[in-house]
Amino acid sequence: MAGSNEVNLSESKRVVPLNTWILISNFKLAYNLLRRPDGTFNRHLAEFLDRKVPANANPVEGVFSFDVIIDRSTSLLSRIYRPATGEEALPSIMELEKPVTGDIVPVILFFHGGSFAHSSANSAIYDTLCRRLVGICKAVVVSVNYRRAPENPYPCAYDDGWAALKWVNSRPWLKSEEDSKVHIYMVGDSSGGNIVHNVAVKAVESGIEVLGNILLNPMFGGQERTESEKRLDGKYFVTIQDRDWYWRAFLPEGEDRDHAACNPFGPNGKSLVGMKFPKSLVVVAGLDLVQDWQLAYVEGLKKAGQEVKHLYLDKATIGFYLLPNNDHFYTVMDEISNFVSSNC
Amino acid sequence: MGPYDSAVSTGSTTSSPSSAAKPSEIDGLLAGAGYKVRSTELHQVAQRLERLETVMVNAPSEISQLASDVLHCNPSDIASWVDSMLVEFNPPVSIPSDLSDFSDLTYIDSVVSPAINQTVCNNSWVEHHTPQQQQQELTHQLTVVTAMEEDSGIRLVHMMMTCAESVQRGDLPLAGSLIEEMQALLTRVNTGCGIGKVARYFIDALSRRVFTPQALCPTGWSNENEILYHHFYEACPYLKFAHFTANQAILEAFDGHDCVHVVDFNLMHGLQWPALIQALALRPGGPPLLRLTGIGPPSPDGRDSLREIGLRLAELARSVNVRFAFRGVAASRLEDVKPWMLQVSPKEAVAINSIMQLHRLLGSGPTRVSAIETVLGWIRSLNPKIVTVVEQEANHNQSEFLDRFTEALYYYSTMFDSLEACSLQPEKAVAEIYIQREICNVLCCEGSARVERHEPLAKWRNRLGAAGFRPLNLGSNAFKQASMLLTLFSAEGYCVEEHEGCLTLGWHSRPLIAASAWQPIQDPVINHNNLL
Repeated sequence: MAGSNEVNLSESKRVVPLNTWILISNFKLAYNLLRRPDGTFNRHLAEFLDRKVPANANPVEGVFSFDVIIDRSTSLLSRIYRPATGEEALPSIMELEKPVTGDIVPVILFFHGGSFAHSSANSAIYDTLCRRLVGICKAVVVSVNYRRAPENPYPCAYDDGWAALKWVNSRPWLKSEEDSKVHIYMVGDSSGGNIVHNVAVKAVESGIEVLGNILLNPMFGGQERTESEKRLDGKYFVTIQDRDWYWRAFLPEGEDRDHAACNPFGPNGKSLVGMKFPKSLVVVAGLDLVQDWQLAYVEGLKKAGQEVKHLYLDKATIGFYLLPNNDHFYTVMDEISNFVSSNC
Repeated sequence: MGPYDSAVSTGSTTSSPSSAAKPSEIDGLLAGAGYKVRSTELHQVAQRLERLETVMVNAPSEISQLASDVLHCNPSDIASWVDSMLVEFNPPVSIPSDLSDFSDLTYIDSVVSPAINQTVCNNSWVEHHTPQQQQQELTHQLTVVTAMEEDSGIRLVHMMMTCAESVQRGDLPLAGSLIEEMQALLTRVNTGCGIGKVARYFIDALSRRVFTPQALCPTGWSNENEILYHHFYEACPYLKFAHFTANQAILEAFDGHDCVHVVDFNLMHGLQWPALIQALALRPGGPPLLRLTGIGPPSPDGRDSLREIGLRLAELARSVNVRFAFRGVAASRLEDVKPWMLQVSPKEAVAINSIMQLHRLLGSGPTRVSAIETVLGWIRSLNPKIVTVVEQEANHNQSEFLDRFTEALYYYSTMFDSLEACSLQPEKAVAEIYIQREICNVLCCEGSARVERHEPLAKWRNRLGAAGFRPLNLGSNAFKQASMLLTLFSAEGYCVEEHEGCLTLGWHSRPLIAASAWQPIQDPVINHNNLL
């Protein structure tokens, strides 16, 4: 590493609460140990270090969860979170897949983050986040345990997302009473945000209706080094070097970061003009070094005539939505709630 | 209060301005993320993280290699994890050169690990749970993995639950008629796999309970059961995982001791011990003198089956030059064993090995002193270096029948599902009978006849803690090797997880079996009183 990239620890400590700083720094340092210079990944240690929680069919604070197998051939699991109605004394298997009640019940297809390599649907941080989403949006949340890089690079995560979308769309018990259709929103953070975009494209091409996309600090990039990347490199938990590693791990061999998966509105991107693409909410953290790419994504959607709301959070770092101890967290949760409840 | 004001978290409240944080309170938000950090130590932990980062920056290319070799323990305790990393990276540790000679022998990796790792592991700070946290952990968690599609399968489950409920209420006529209906429905469902198969066994259990309650439940510890056990061992990885993980921990605990004594609470065919004998044979510095005491039921036909197994193990030990002595202790029940029968010598390092035996002690008669307390008491008095405990990760000891039924339905459904992946016959078919016996005991028996009183890890933690034991962490080494064992021998879908120093093996994210290791907390008053 160049000598000028001195690690500026005190800066990041000033802008986030102490427990958040500990959480994200712990991830950062642990992840440094897992990425090998030769591009391989210490998966055993990653799974050992990852804090996981089991599903719980007993409601906890109004939400219960259970895991389903969507595709045995790829061991694709998803964790389903549902609001407890309070009627069931003891959840039995019928309660788990009982038809949703309500004229309109949003179903959120959730893709966890982790730069395509880390975390799982049963990671504690994402289990917590999904439970919150149930309460905030009065929704059923389906969290997809997609296959990860580098063992399963592009397009595995997208394929799994697509399989999950088709599965959700075809569940009779997820249909809203008003129109007997499943009301689907897709939410994802970091790599999950990237997956949301790519699955949405497939959905539009295949005629499955997605009502909205929510991308939290989505993971996009490109060959060029943008101003935000250079300015913020190493300052707030993330480095250009680690971003490069994850893209190399995910993208096909020989491809660079202008591949459409990484840079959807770049030189190899596909035009969305004329497509009935879902409305999007894109949340950008002002201290995230890839924000220029995220802003480029927003611009790309606008230029293609697509509806997009851009929420820029000045002093937010990555992972701000993991702990409910800052204003940005509450701002975003309100926005998400409004986005999902406003049905045009 | 908004929907997200009460953070979804275990443990105590976050430090708020109005209430002073008690020293033992952990940060509630980090707890929700799976980490235990005391509120009063946040600054210290942050400082250590900063130090670790600085140190890591100065050794960039070696980091991932060092990380693979280091023994990681209890990642939930960030403070101790960071400290163990600091010890590794600063100053740099020279890894013994003879590590490479044993790279192909999986057990040796753990034994030859630098002494530093072991001390870091054993000194890791042990959390003493506040009552609030204990309560949280005891809250019954019901984990479900479902792959059911058929409607008739769902109908069957519906009827089974209704039937179980009527059994609980004492409405046997209704239960009986439901059973008949279900048996009719079974003929129209595929009972060879999936929900149909599970339903078949559970309806059978309900039928036994309702129609033939006076029939004796087949209890464990008989010759037949040993055969069933052996097939279960071959058909799926649960017992292999149990043996493997326990052996790993025992091996590490015996490091540096020349006289070692393993007490096996249920010898069966002694399947666990050849691997340990071989690993001890390959120990650098040579093997210790190994004594094995195997507990098992008396043989009905007058044979001394314990001794026969002991002889076979002795032959193996002789062939690898391990001095070995075997003793069999015949007892119908574990609580009938008295510590003097084990003839433990004060000079030996003792390992107590309990693979799915402790739960059998949880049934209590009306006037009997609690069997579990008695046994844990004399285990403690033997001052073992390690107590390895493997138990089913399930809550099958609830007093309400419906609760037991529901929990068992989910648990054994998952287990049967995992068995689908096995293609060995007749191992698979016989393994099912083994599981069926367990199910019948859980559901059809009561009182002292019901020995399958499985309890989850959280409860065992409390029991063992209350009995004066502290947990020894099963570290990343054991985890990695258990994971590798799985990829070698089993289908995809099995997963090993780490929870606060213990390892679980499960199927599709539902843990089914939990392995842990313990050591008596040294009591300064009675540390010389080893034998009764």
